Amino acid sequence: MTRFKPIFLAAVSALLAAVTVDAARPHYGGTLRIETTDAAVMRRVNALAYETLVASDTAGALRPLLATAWQGDNGGRRWTFRLRRGVKLHDGSTLQPPQVAEALRMAHVDWQITSGDDTVAIDAGRDAPGLPFELADQGNAIVVRPAAGALMGSGPFRVERVDAGLITLRAHEGYWDSRPFVDAIEVRTTRSPADQLLDLEAARADMVGIQPTDVRRMEQRQFRIEASRPVELFVLAFEAHVATAASESVRRTLSGAIDRGAIARVVLQGRAEAADTLLPQWLSGHAPIAPGRGAEPLARSAVAALPADRRTLGLRVAASDPAAQAIAQRIAVNARDAGFTITVQTPAGLGPRFDVRLLRVPMRGATPGAALSDVMAGLGARTIALAGRVTPPEPGAPIDTVLFTEHALLEHNVLVPIVHVPELYAVSPRFESWNGPAVQPSGAWNLANAWLSAP
Amino acid sequence: MSLRNRLFALVSGVVVLTVVLVTWTVSSSARQSFATVDTQRSAALVTQFRREFANQGEQVSLRLDRIAQSDAASRVAAGIAGARDFAPYVNEATPLAAAQELDVLDLVAADGTIVSSAEWPARFGYQHAWARKAVHATNPSSGFLQPVEFPDETGLGLVAVRTLPAGSGTLYLAGGRRLDRKFLQSLVLPPGMRVLLYENLQPEVSGRQLIAAEDDPPEAAPLEPLIARVIQDRREAREVIEWPDGPETVDALPLGGPDGAVLGVLLVGSSGRELAALVRRIRWSGVGFGAVAIGVGFLLSFLVSARVTRPVEQLAGAARAVADGEWDVHVDDVGTTGEIKVLADAFETMTRQLVDHRDRLVQAERVAAWRELARRLAHELKNPLFPLRITLDNLRRAKSLSSAEFDEVFDESLTTLQTGLGNLNTVIGRFSDFARMPAPEFSQVSINEVVEQSVALFRAQLAAPGRPPVAVTLELDPAAGAIRADGEQIRRAVQNLLLNAIDAMPEGGELRIVTARSNGVVRLDVADTGQGIGEEERSRLFTPYYTTKQHGTGLGLAIVQSVVTDHHGKIWVESEHGRGATFHIEFPA
Repeated sequence: MTRFKPIFLAAVSALLAAVTVDAARPHYGGTLRIETTDAAVMRRVNALAYETLVASDTAGALRPLLATAWQGDNGGRRWTFRLRRGVKLHDGSTLQPPQVAEALRMAHVDWQITSGDDTVAIDAGRDAPGLPFELADQGNAIVVRPAAGALMGSGPFRVERVDAGLITLRAHEGYWDSRPFVDAIEVRTTRSPADQLLDLEAARADMVGIQPTDVRRMEQRQFRIEASRPVELFVLAFEAHVATAASESVRRTLSGAIDRGAIARVVLQGRAEAADTLLPQWLSGHAPIAPGRGAEPLARSAVAALPADRRTLGLRVAASDPAAQAIAQRIAVNARDAGFTITVQTPAGLGPRFDVRLLRVPMRGATPGAALSDVMAGLGARTIALAGRVTPPEPGAPIDTVLFTEHALLEHNVLVPIVHVPELYAVSPRFESWNGPAVQPSGAWNLANAWLSAP
Repeated sequence: MSLRNRLFALVSGVVVLTVVLVTWTVSSSARQSFATVDTQRSAALVTQFRREFANQGEQVSLRLDRIAQSDAASRVAAGIAGARDFAPYVNEATPLAAAQELDVLDLVAADGTIVSSAEWPARFGYQHAWARKAVHATNPSSGFLQPVEFPDETGLGLVAVRTLPAGSGTLYLAGGRRLDRKFLQSLVLPPGMRVLLYENLQPEVSGRQLIAAEDDPPEAAPLEPLIARVIQDRREAREVIEWPDGPETVDALPLGGPDGAVLGVLLVGSSGRELAALVRRIRWSGVGFGAVAIGVGFLLSFLVSARVTRPVEQLAGAARAVADGEWDVHVDDVGTTGEIKVLADAFETMTRQLVDHRDRLVQAERVAAWRELARRLAHELKNPLFPLRITLDNLRRAKSLSSAEFDEVFDESLTTLQTGLGNLNTVIGRFSDFARMPAPEFSQVSINEVVEQSVALFRAQLAAPGRPPVAVTLELDPAAGAIRADGEQIRRAVQNLLLNAIDAMPEGGELRIVTARSNGVVRLDVADTGQGIGEEERSRLFTPYYTTKQHGTGLGLAIVQSVVTDHHGKIWVESEHGRGATFHIEFPA
């Protein structure tokens, strides 16, 4: 008996190892089901179908994609990109350098773009040292427009159908980086957040968008949380009648009273970063500064001495955004400590007059300038005009220019950043990938190497 | 007011008073009865609320026990033990409270920090106001009243506290139900009653702290004095509140907190509208009945008073006719019996006797008048006839005288006869004049002029030698003016009065004549200072042929009265014995 014991143990170990290896091995086939109400869903979908020349990696550095190498002249005015060979488009044809040049010309009419045998040269007409980073933005994806038929790209998936509330993508069999494991992806865009969570728990979805307030609940249910870098900004924007110079002390006091750390740590369950600036630190590369914090805030007695209409504020929040509502409620609590009374309004339609809005602004740009432009576009021209008469920076603008613009916007506390939040997804345990998380730091979906394990 | 009207008013008044008294008595009695029932109903509701309140407290304690025994609470207690970051548990209270249907649930760390709050999720990290204190100060196992902070306001909660060991510390579970509209709606109320809750969480009593089960809370101002009194006295009170749509009896119940302070006032209102409507219905029924009864009473009063007063009115009419001189009236058809019939018969007998007496009196006066007339005639005629007879005797004796002497006697006798016949003619003329007083011929006559002309006629007589002096004083009012009269008759009357006055002063004296106009009449006063007129004389003064004078006919004042009467005037005399007499005459102006 003792002679067979090692043999028996070895056999059992081998069996267990085989089972484990089989479970971890990628599987081809299946349909990946994603549910999200993110307004940028088409951007995410397009990123799967249309690739850029370069992409940013998890560390924020550039990595090759359709371009394998790139080189600029001394001032960064002219850049040459060497293209990957043998890249197949969705119709099976090979991607040609002129097609790349033409696609870039569609996005940048002011660039001088020429193509060689396997290169594309870009003359930006100005010093553009950050141009490769700019090209990592999805807006510079290579989209081939044939004379007839649908748009074509070279991404791991092609867009098969776009229906109301449902987008269907099919695996690109000739993808240059090997065929994706899953056969198709279905993206549902009209399910409510609550329904998305229920679908995930009922195995009717494999990945759903969630709010920071849902993180703990989903973790308790053994779902994996995937997050981008903070790519959205919650910011208070005061209305015109409160954006006056006379009310600056009120705004400054209110801004100083907000406990951003508690909001990030508790309300958003540690999935956010307290924000003193519009751009997150990972994007700007600078430590947060608070331009509007120069003067002392009003004492509570001074606030109490203000007229009632100046210490009573209506805070408008989107009725469909529970995270924003939770943040607004906490802001109201903090404001009460400073002597202010904030009434949180979540009207579905027309509501009472409000004094300040809590906005959720996305930052899609890959460069600080592009991201700040996104923020300014998200805030709207009227709000930007109240904050400071500045123009959006160019996507490739120097960081000093971007920070100067940001400083001007925040100087008078008409805009009060609260937190930066990431895009969050809850992912089913059967959703697996061998080369990193399903959601990249930029928020893009990394689905080319994902597969679905057996239920 | 006539007897009939008085009788009608009296009977009607009695009927109205009786009906009003009966109606008021019934209405008042009904109101008191209903008020008693209403009071009992309010007391029952207050008792019911006390039971319900105690039951709610037990329910809160029970549900908090369940939470304390739950895995979730244990997990939180274990999680926060020794931890400094409570963020993972910030949302734990909400599902726990929802599962136990609690409005309030706070998970509080040992140092009083709020780990999670169901009623105010954003308030994590702050110090909890009462959980730890309540554990040490009161018996937390039972429910107690406590001000609880909510995002928009502070409200009253019926709460309890439980503790769970959390490592070396403690996890406090403070939860309960809010006393709000939902709580009030959970109370079962009989129709016509309602419950209001006043949250005494402000320094001043304010209507904004009043909560009602219905959507529209009532106007608070009428309730504020009652609320303030209960808060001050810390005991129940009752008051009737007058609302525009009717009265409401409100029982106010103080709700005390753990330290005895009045945190709220429960107002149990029993609407008096139904009661008022019922009382009003009874009252209006009474009023309707009373109105009908009063109407019938008026009709009966009218008929009774008419039946009772008709013979009396006939008697009164007959009496008035008798008073007007119409003595030949009969009241023998009054159509009644009893005392009125006896009265009518007596009246009939009396009038009959009066007529008989009058007839006899007239007959007697007529005889007396004829006797007086005969006496006066005999007297008047006897004086002139006596010289005539003497003259005739002288003539008969003169036949034996010489012719010359006879002629002298004859002429003298003839003169005497003529004078005597003239006197007889004068006497007859006076009587004839009185009998033939003509109707006055009216024109504008100045009374002052008549007086002055008449006085002038007598001045010579008054100034005759040897006559005692009579002073004449005229006080003629120029405003007396003219009257509508027969000038000749007026002058004759005035002259008779002057002559009468002069005759009354054989020893001399003062004759005073005064005219004046006032109050629509022209007045003439003729006063003498003679011996005056006795009462007996005054009563017969204007009787024809009555005189106190030796040679008077007794027609002078009778003529004066006749003239005054024909001019629609009035004459009377005032006199005192020994102080003269004054005749007053008034003519319409």
